[in-house]
Amino acid sequence: MEHLAFCQNFPFFTIIMTLSSGVICSILKPKKAMYFQCIVIFATFVMSLITLLFTLSTKTSYAFMMGHFPAPWGNELRIGPFESLMATCFSGIMLLSLIGGMSHIFEDTEEKKTNLYFCMISLLLSSLFALIYTNDIFTGYVFVEINTITSCAIVMLKYRGGKTIVATTRYMVMSLLGSGLFLLGITMLYDLTGHLLMPQLGQAVNLLVESNQYMFPLTVIIGLFSIGLSIKSALFPFHTWLPDAHGNATASSSAILSGLVLKGYIILLIKIFYRVIGLDVIEVDQVTNILFVFGILAMIIGSIKAISQQDIKKMLAYSSVAQIGYVYLGIGLGTNLGIIAASLQILAHAFTKPMLFVCSGGLMDVSGGSKQAKDLSGAGYRDKLTGVAFTIGGLSMVGIPLLAGFSTKFNLCMAAIEYGNIKMIMALIAIIISTVLNAMYYLPAIFNLYHVRHDDSFKDVKAHYHFSYAIVLVIFILLNFSIGIFSDTYESIISMGLSTFG
Amino acid sequence: MIQEVLMFGAILIPMIGALIIGVVPIFKDDKKRNICIFISLVLTLFIVILNCLYGDVSVTVLRLSEKLPILFKKDLMSKWFTMLCSFMWLMVGVFSFEYIKHEENRNRFYIFYLLTLGAILGLGFAGNFVTLYLCFEFMTFLSMPLVLHSGTKEAIQAAKKYLYYSIFGASLGLLNLFFISYYSPILEFLPGGVLNNISLTQNAHTTLLVVSFLSIIGFGAKAGMFPLHAWLPTAHPVAPAPASAVLSGVITKAGVLCIIRTVYYLFGVDFIRGTWVQYAWIILALITVFMGSMLAYNETIFKKRLAYSSVSQVSYILFGLALLNKIAFTGAMLHMYFHSLIKDVLFLTAGAIIYLTHKTNVKDFKAMGKRMPIVMWCFTIASLSLIGIPPLSGFISKWYLCVGSLSLNIQPYAILGPIVLIISALLTAGYLFTITINAFFPGNDFDYNSLEKIKEPKLMTIPMIILTILIVLFGLYPHGLLNIINSIVGTIL
Amino acid sequence: MFNNLFSNFYETTAVIIFGIGFTTLLLHRNLIKKIIGFNFMDTAIYLFLAAKGYIQGRVAPILIFENGSYDTSFERYINPIPAGLVLTGIVVSVSVTAFMLALTIRLYKKYHTLDIDKIVRIASKEEE
Repeated sequence: MEHLAFCQNFPFFTIIMTLSSGVICSILKPKKAMYFQCIVIFATFVMSLITLLFTLSTKTSYAFMMGHFPAPWGNELRIGPFESLMATCFSGIMLLSLIGGMSHIFEDTEEKKTNLYFCMISLLLSSLFALIYTNDIFTGYVFVEINTITSCAIVMLKYRGGKTIVATTRYMVMSLLGSGLFLLGITMLYDLTGHLLMPQLGQAVNLLVESNQYMFPLTVIIGLFSIGLSIKSALFPFHTWLPDAHGNATASSSAILSGLVLKGYIILLIKIFYRVIGLDVIEVDQVTNILFVFGILAMIIGSIKAISQQDIKKMLAYSSVAQIGYVYLGIGLGTNLGIIAASLQILAHAFTKPMLFVCSGGLMDVSGGSKQAKDLSGAGYRDKLTGVAFTIGGLSMVGIPLLAGFSTKFNLCMAAIEYGNIKMIMALIAIIISTVLNAMYYLPAIFNLYHVRHDDSFKDVKAHYHFSYAIVLVIFILLNFSIGIFSDTYESIISMGLSTFG
Repeated sequence: MIQEVLMFGAILIPMIGALIIGVVPIFKDDKKRNICIFISLVLTLFIVILNCLYGDVSVTVLRLSEKLPILFKKDLMSKWFTMLCSFMWLMVGVFSFEYIKHEENRNRFYIFYLLTLGAILGLGFAGNFVTLYLCFEFMTFLSMPLVLHSGTKEAIQAAKKYLYYSIFGASLGLLNLFFISYYSPILEFLPGGVLNNISLTQNAHTTLLVVSFLSIIGFGAKAGMFPLHAWLPTAHPVAPAPASAVLSGVITKAGVLCIIRTVYYLFGVDFIRGTWVQYAWIILALITVFMGSMLAYNETIFKKRLAYSSVSQVSYILFGLALLNKIAFTGAMLHMYFHSLIKDVLFLTAGAIIYLTHKTNVKDFKAMGKRMPIVMWCFTIASLSLIGIPPLSGFISKWYLCVGSLSLNIQPYAILGPIVLIISALLTAGYLFTITINAFFPGNDFDYNSLEKIKEPKLMTIPMIILTILIVLFGLYPHGLLNIINSIVGTIL
Repeated sequence: MFNNLFSNFYETTAVIIFGIGFTTLLLHRNLIKKIIGFNFMDTAIYLFLAAKGYIQGRVAPILIFENGSYDTSFERYINPIPAGLVLTGIVVSVSVTAFMLALTIRLYKKYHTLDIDKIVRIASKEEE
C-alpha cells in the first residue's frame, strides 16, 4: 500500500470539518457562529487549493480509501485535478457569497435562528464536497439528499412573508421527485451489476454492453439518472421551482443556490457518465440528444421569460435557467470537448451569478429594500461599486470578449463545430439567439441602474456598506476577468482532470 | 517603440479625455469642458496624422487563449479609416459645442462621445477578428447613450432597437471567428485572405460560404443594409444632431470596415468571387440603394429623410465592395470619404435649423435660404455633390462605381448597377433639391416682409464651411486620395 | 413478458407503488397527501431493494452460532448490502418527512389551509 502524502487526506478533512462545524454552529451564538463558519470555510478553501496544486503536480488522480476497507467493499473518494479545481472554486465562491450578503443574512433571518443558517450552509458545503469527490454512487445519493434538505432550508430561513415558505415547499417537492428517480436508478443498477463503487460499476457495465445483454434496462437507468438529476438542477422543463426559490431567498442563499447547488448535481451526472456508463455508450444512446434539445429550449425560453420580469432577482433566476441550458448543451454533445466546454461554463456561471445576486442585495439596500425595477433606477449612481460590478456581470452574461461569458460561448461553439452535422447548426443558432435575448434583458437592467428618473425618491440615499462587501465585489470582478483572459489555464486543468477521470 | 505608443495613444487619448471630464470637477463648467474636449480631439487627430506618416506595426496586447490574441495592427486600410474618423469627430465636436446648449446632461454626452471615438479608433486598428469584434461591441454600447440622450420614451425605444440589431448583427459576424479558426491556423487579417493555401472539402466550402454571407448581413446591420437596416430611420430623429452626424457619417462606415476586413482580409476575394454570395450581396445592396432613396423621397421629417438617404448611400459603398474589382473598390473607398463629408454637412445643417428655428419638417423650410444663407448654401453644395454633379466629389465616386460595375462582364448585374444608381440619383435630386429650391425661391405668394435673418453661430458654421470646401476640393483634385487607394487596392485585389 | 412480471412480483409491486407515490406527490393538492405520496415512493424503493437482496432459502445476515463457532460461509445468508442501503434510505426519508411536516405546519399557521393551489394564489397576491 503506497504511502499517502499528508495533503492527500485533505479532501476527507474538508468533508468531516464542514460536517462537524455544522453541528457546532447549531449551538453557538449567531455572531460567533458567523466567525467560526467563515474561518472553517476559509480553511477548507486553503485545503482544497493545496490539493489542487498537489494533483496538478502529479498530473493524475488518486483514490482515497475510507477506513481500512479496500474496494470493492469499502467506500472511496476519487480526487483529481478536475475535482479539486471544482472544490476550490466552490468553497471560495461560498465564502465570498456569505461575506457579500452577510448584512442581509442577519436582517432576513429570525434573531435566534441565524446560527442555524450557518449550520445549514456548513452542511451544504460538506454535501457539495462529497458530491464532487465521491466514488461511490450510494454515497452520492445520501449527499444528494443532504444537499436537498439544506438548500431548501437556506431558502426558507428568510422568515418574512409566506412566499418563501411556498417556494421552499415547491422546491422540496420537485427535488424529492428527482431524488426518487435517482434512487430508483441506483437500485436498478445495483441489481444489474452488484456493485456500488463507480470503477467497478463501470467495468460491469462494460461487460454488459459487450455481451449486449440488458441493453433496455441500461437505457432506462441512464434515463432515470439523467431525468432525476436534471429535475434537481433545473433543466427545462423541470425548472418551474427555480424562479420562486431563488427569487425569494436572501441574497447569499440565491447566490449559493444558483451558483453552486445546481452545479453539484451536474458534476455528479458528469461523473456518472464518465465512470459508470462510459462516454462511448452515451454517444450511441439517445439520452444525450434529449438533454441537448432540452438545453437549447432552456436557453431560449429561460431568456424569453426573463425579459418580462420586473423583479430583478426573478430575472436573475430565469437567467440561471438559461445558463444551465448552456451546460446541458455541452453535455448533450456527448464528446470530450463538449464536456470540457460544459465544465468551463459551470465555472464561469459559478463566478458570475453569485456576483450578480450579491450586487442585487446591495442595490436593494440603496433602494429602500425593494426589488422592483422601477425602484432601482439610478441605483448605479447611489452605489457606484455595486453598479460597476453588476455591469461587468451583465456584460459577461451577454458575452463580451475579455469576460467569462465569451470564453464559454467560444468553447461551446468550437465543441459544436467539431461535432458537425445538424447538432452543430442547432447549437450555433441557439447560441446566437440566446445572446441577443440575454442582451435584451441585461442591458436594459444595466441602463436602468444609471437612468435617473425625475420622481426619484431615493435620490439622497447613500450607500453604507462594510468594507468586506467591497472586497468581495472586487474579488468577484477579478475572478470574472480571470476566466475571460486566462481561460486556457482553466481549460487545461479541466481536460487534464477529465482525462484521468475514468 | 514609438510607433506602438502612437497607435495606442490614438486610442487612449479620447478615453483619457472622457475620464478627465467625468471625474475632475472643474470641467463641469461649460467653457473649460469645451476647451478640454477640443484639445483631446485635436490631439487625437494630430496623433492619427503622425500614425499615417509612419510605417506599419503590429502589437499583441494579450492572449485570451492560445488561438485568440488581442492584436492591434496598423496598415494602410486602418490609416485610411482612422484618418476619416478623427477628422469628422473633430468637426462635429466643434459644431456640438454650440448645439449642446440646447440639451441637458451635457457632460454625459461628451463622455460617451469621446469614449466612442476611442472604441472606433480601436476598431480601425484591429488586427484580427477577435479584436474587431471586441471593439465593435464596445462601440455599440458606448454609442447607445448618444442615441438615448434626450431620455424620452421614443429615444429609449430607438436606442434599444439600435442595440438589438447591432448585437444580432455582431453575433452573425461572430460565426466568422468560430469557423475560420476551425479551418485555418492564422486568424490575423492578411491582405488577400487567410484561406488561400488551405484545401477545403466540398462541405467545408459551402459552410464557409454560408458563414461569409451571414457575416456580411450581420455587419451590414451596422451599415444599414437591407434586411437589417430598420434601426437607422428610428434612431436618427430622436438623437441630437451631432450624434446623428457621427452615427450616419462614421459609425456606419465602421460596419463597412468590418465587411471589408471580412471579405478582403479574412476570406479573400478569390473565395467569394463568382459565387452566389457575391450575387446575393450585389442584389441586397442594390435593393437598399433603391429602397432608401424611395423612402427618403416620401419622407417629410428632415432628419428621417436624411436617415433614409444614409441607408441608400452607404449601400452604394457596399455595392462597390461587392463587385470585387479594382475600379469599383476605388469608387467605394472614395464614396466612403465623400459620403461622410456630405452627410455630416447635411446633418449639421439639419442641426443648425432645428437649433435656431425648431423646425423639423421640410414643409416648413420655405425661405430658409434667405434667413440662414450660409447654412443653406452649404446644404446646396453638399446635395449637389450627393446627386453626383461634376465637378463636385460625389460625381467622381459615382463615376468609378458605374465604370466598375460595367467592367464586371456578368450580365445582368453589370448593367443593373448603373441603372439603379442613375434612378437613385434622380430620386436623390428629388428629395434634396426640392428643399433647396423651397429655401431659396419660396414662390410669389410668400410674405417677404415677415422674414427675419437669423444670426448663425460661428461654432456651427465654421465646421460646415470647412467640410463644404473639402467636398469641392476633393472633386477638383482627387489625385491624393486616388494614390492612397491605389496602394491599398494593390495589396488586396 | 407477463411471466417475468409475475415471477418478479416484488419488483413489480414496488414499481406500481412507486408510480402511485410519484403521481400522488406530483398531482395531489393537499400537502399532507403529498407527504404521504413521498413516503409511498420511498417505501416502494425500499421494497425493491430488499427484494433484490433476498435469496430464496437463505437466512438473515446475522452469523449463526453453530457447533461451537460462527458459520461464516456466505452461502447461508442473504445479501446484506441492500439492507444497509434501506436503512440509510429510511433515515433520509424520515428527515425529509420531518422537514416537510414542519413546512406544512408553518404554512397552515399562516394561511389556514392545506391546499397548495390556494396557498400559491394567496401568497402571490400578498405584498412582500
